[in-house]
Amino acid sequence: MLLVLFRLTLFLICIYTVRHYWFTLNRLFGRQRHPYVDLENAAWPAVTVLIAAHNEEAVVTDILKALMEVDYPREQLTIVPVNDRSTDRTREIIDAFVEEHPFVEPFHRVSGKPGKAAALKDAMELVKTEIVLIFDADYIPGKALIRQLVAPFFDPEIGAVMGRVVPLNVGKKSLTRLLDLERSGGYQVDQQARMNLRLVPQYGGTVAGVRKSALDEIGGWNEDALAEDTDLTYRLLCAGWKTVYENRAECYEEVPERWPVRVRQIKRWAKGHNQAMARYIGDTAKCSELGRWERIDGMLLLGVYVMGPVLLLGWLLAVVLFYNGAQIGGGLTVLALGAFTTLGNFAAFFEIAAAARLDGSRQRIRLLPLTLFGFIVSLISVSQAAWQQAEESLFGTKELVWDKTERSRVAPVLEDPLPAFEESV
Amino acid sequence: MSAWAPLALTSLTAALLALPVTPALFELWKRADAAPLPTSRHDGRIGNFAEVFRSRLHPLLPQLEQCRNQRELSRVSMEGMEVLLVGRDDFDFDPRLTEGISAVMLSEAALIPPGYVVEADVYTGIGLDLGECAALRAALCEGDIILGENSAVLRWLHADGSIFLRRGSNAYGRLSAGRSIRLEPECGFERMSAPQITTVDTDQRDDSPPQRDVRELQPADVCDRFASSRPRLRIQGNFVLPAGETLNANVIATGELRLAAGARLFGSAKSYKDTVIDEDACVHGSIVSGETARLGPRCFVAGPLMAESNVLIARGSRVGGPDALTTISSDGVRIAAGCHLHGTVWARVRGSVEA
Repeated sequence: MLLVLFRLTLFLICIYTVRHYWFTLNRLFGRQRHPYVDLENAAWPAVTVLIAAHNEEAVVTDILKALMEVDYPREQLTIVPVNDRSTDRTREIIDAFVEEHPFVEPFHRVSGKPGKAAALKDAMELVKTEIVLIFDADYIPGKALIRQLVAPFFDPEIGAVMGRVVPLNVGKKSLTRLLDLERSGGYQVDQQARMNLRLVPQYGGTVAGVRKSALDEIGGWNEDALAEDTDLTYRLLCAGWKTVYENRAECYEEVPERWPVRVRQIKRWAKGHNQAMARYIGDTAKCSELGRWERIDGMLLLGVYVMGPVLLLGWLLAVVLFYNGAQIGGGLTVLALGAFTTLGNFAAFFEIAAAARLDGSRQRIRLLPLTLFGFIVSLISVSQAAWQQAEESLFGTKELVWDKTERSRVAPVLEDPLPAFEESV
Repeated sequence: MSAWAPLALTSLTAALLALPVTPALFELWKRADAAPLPTSRHDGRIGNFAEVFRSRLHPLLPQLEQCRNQRELSRVSMEGMEVLLVGRDDFDFDPRLTEGISAVMLSEAALIPPGYVVEADVYTGIGLDLGECAALRAALCEGDIILGENSAVLRWLHADGSIFLRRGSNAYGRLSAGRSIRLEPECGFERMSAPQITTVDTDQRDDSPPQRDVRELQPADVCDRFASSRPRLRIQGNFVLPAGETLNANVIATGELRLAAGARLFGSAKSYKDTVIDEDACVHGSIVSGETARLGPRCFVAGPLMAESNVLIARGSRVGGPDALTTISSDGVRIAAGCHLHGTVWARVRGSVEA
């Protein structure tokens, strides 16, 4: 029995390992798909930008200022800071900004269900445009970002768009440097490979856009979702809408600078993702709108955070079976290899290496061995989250809270020029 | 056994274990690559190269004016660039004069003789005429530009007025004009942008408008392609809109999508395979093709028009409108003579004009 379980574990790990190799090789040597990136002229549609802000006094000014600079027809752009029950100076800061920029239309939410999905759901009542873009308040969009995120919506099949997240506070701590590598692997390789291979790029909830009619068709934001982004990706997918990833739609974000904040963040992601897995893996398997590989990838993507506990279980089984004299062959070796290539917030180490190469960052790749520590922390956190979730489902559900990621920024950063590519003649 | 042996073994083992992480620790300590990744902050427009060039040369305009008044040549250094200021109208791009020069600024029209290769970037305030079989790296012109037969531009070209590409000329890189671009057969291009892009037959070299065999843009042609009320048809397999039929919907086909002759689609079209628009058919929205998009004679597409393999446009077709600029984007773009395109044409690999 244990041997069968062990072999099943091994099988799953191997599948994910192959998946990561496939993605990395595709990204390095395959045909790259950026079908919407060249859209320069078009009848740009009216767009609403929602900025989710819950106690964001330290960062909200930066995103509002950045949005004033974007290259998008002003008459087609509505900016709505969604101040969700903030208890700090967020409301005051937004109102002061609105006085100077009357076309910004704030939405101050003072009551209602907690959580980003609930806040967005309420804010959607104000949205009159077909295209809605969503940013978290700690993001700093570049000049062309709005156009880059809107361009894919000229494709009538696209329900949601996801851009690339780039950490801004990289040099602050060792943790931020490791997270920078992880993010590179996750976006530059993993998401783009899924885009190349016409699989299931994931809508990530920020630096992202959604088509309102598609959202209405699937019943709007799901307030009960712990990860409204994964939830939306799969509901759209099963309804015949596609999500696309725009690797060149880059936006700065602030990553956690302290390990406890990082642990809370990844646990929240894991719980949300696992909840989506339980809800949608059956629908994804049965969905007639999906191609074979799209369906398989959709199911594998849902399972990524379950692979943490699966891996720990595999290690435990390997040791138990080994000391009981069972013939496990090279399983331990395979597990050790798989460990590195399976988790780490989607970014297996070779994905990270490939991403660093594609990004042209030569020195930071030296930090690669240290991602082992990040990997172990993630592995334990994700497994803990799964365990807590199992407990909660057995013994009752806790009230949903918006476990917001703590910000480290203490003052606006836009006074300093951000690093940027300049076009050269 | 010496008492040092265990210590040596321990030290050696520790050193071997530390070896793989030494570069990492070194990088943590030195922080040689700890800056945020630079993101693309420009707006990606085709004319950006020209605008950057213009802004760099702008401070030299008073000196250029001085040269013009004195009808002389002057060589100046600026930001690592060697610039030749030309105030004479008989400058012939003699290679001896342009050797080691990064940019040539002319106060008068620039005439590059046939067969010449100009490695410097050229700025001219009036006009530029590139001779037959000549080659030019890049140029910015505040007037009109004519590329002679079989000539080539290697990096970028911008005219505030119009650009005319004669038979067999090639524009590698970026080509942009404030007013219009006209291309004769056998011309090649990569990225071009102008409010009016026309492909003409060789016998239409004069300034008369090209043959008006396309119908005029109607107000209904620029319908709101983001109207949420428009239904969405998702078809597994091929889809054909029969000849002369009209459909008000966004259509997605997982196979090939075809609009037969004279059909009208009010909405956008997406196909996983080829998209074929037969003669006189209209798409009042965008086209997204997973493979090749073929537009038959006298078609109209409001745009954008995106295909992952090729876009083929037959004679007399129109994409976009003078007041509704749009984008055509694909790996390869082949356009027949007699077409009107408005906005940007972006051939990632190669674009060409056919007779």
